[in-house]
Amino acid sequence: MKPDVSLDFKFTSSIEQVWHALTDSDTLAKWIWNNDFQPIVGHKFQFRAEPNEWWDGIVDCEVLEVEEPHKLSYTWTSAGETTTVTWTLTQVADGTTQLHLDQGGFSEETKARQGAIEGAKYAWTNMSAQLEKVLA
Amino acid sequence: MNNNHQERDVYVAIADPTRRKLIRLLAEVDELPLHELTAQFDMGRTAVSKHLAILKDAGLVLARKEGRETRYRLNAAPLKEIQDWVSFYEGFWKERIAKLHLLLEEKK
Repeated sequence: MKPDVSLDFKFTSSIEQVWHALTDSDTLAKWIWNNDFQPIVGHKFQFRAEPNEWWDGIVDCEVLEVEEPHKLSYTWTSAGETTTVTWTLTQVADGTTQLHLDQGGFSEETKARQGAIEGAKYAWTNMSAQLEKVLA
Repeated sequence: MNNNHQERDVYVAIADPTRRKLIRLLAEVDELPLHELTAQFDMGRTAVSKHLAILKDAGLVLARKEGRETRYRLNAAPLKEIQDWVSFYEGFWKERIAKLHLLLEEKK
């Protein structure tokens, strides 16, 4: 599946530490959301964010691949859209860790969605707090 | 991706509270001249027009001269980039990973 979101990150931590942060439920809760994740292929779990007026806050997931400490993949179903999130970890010679994220499977309708200008006006005001953090 | 540059511009353009207020003001009306926009802020017209220039560069406002004044109107179309899921998740994951960075640093 062709990824639609493809991002690279670099950590000064070891590959084991990054793997732990990606697969330990309590740690995941600190940087994504509360969850009942387990690193077991076929395990179904949820991320639960604070619900709001536009979103129930629930992401339904199923673990697809667990290849410690190099690859982790799960489905990500939220707001009627099912995608696949894949994390790839690579140990670099200098002791740092590269983390690559692919998120693929967005429907063509979603990608092609045009218009919704009114919705967009609305959406950016609500997302701006989050955007500011991203840009900071 | 070809549209990365423009996308970044839109994100930068709306990252500032003054510019968000300008968008909000323009979203409510058809068109406003600079002096009426300036009246809504605790800053001078030069400062306000600098913010408007950034919005204009990002394609979010259109400006036209009428006599001695410049009138501004909102063009909300570029905002839809931010609403699409792919852009949303790119922003979402970058923010989450920033949190993860802090978390891993704390553990050291």
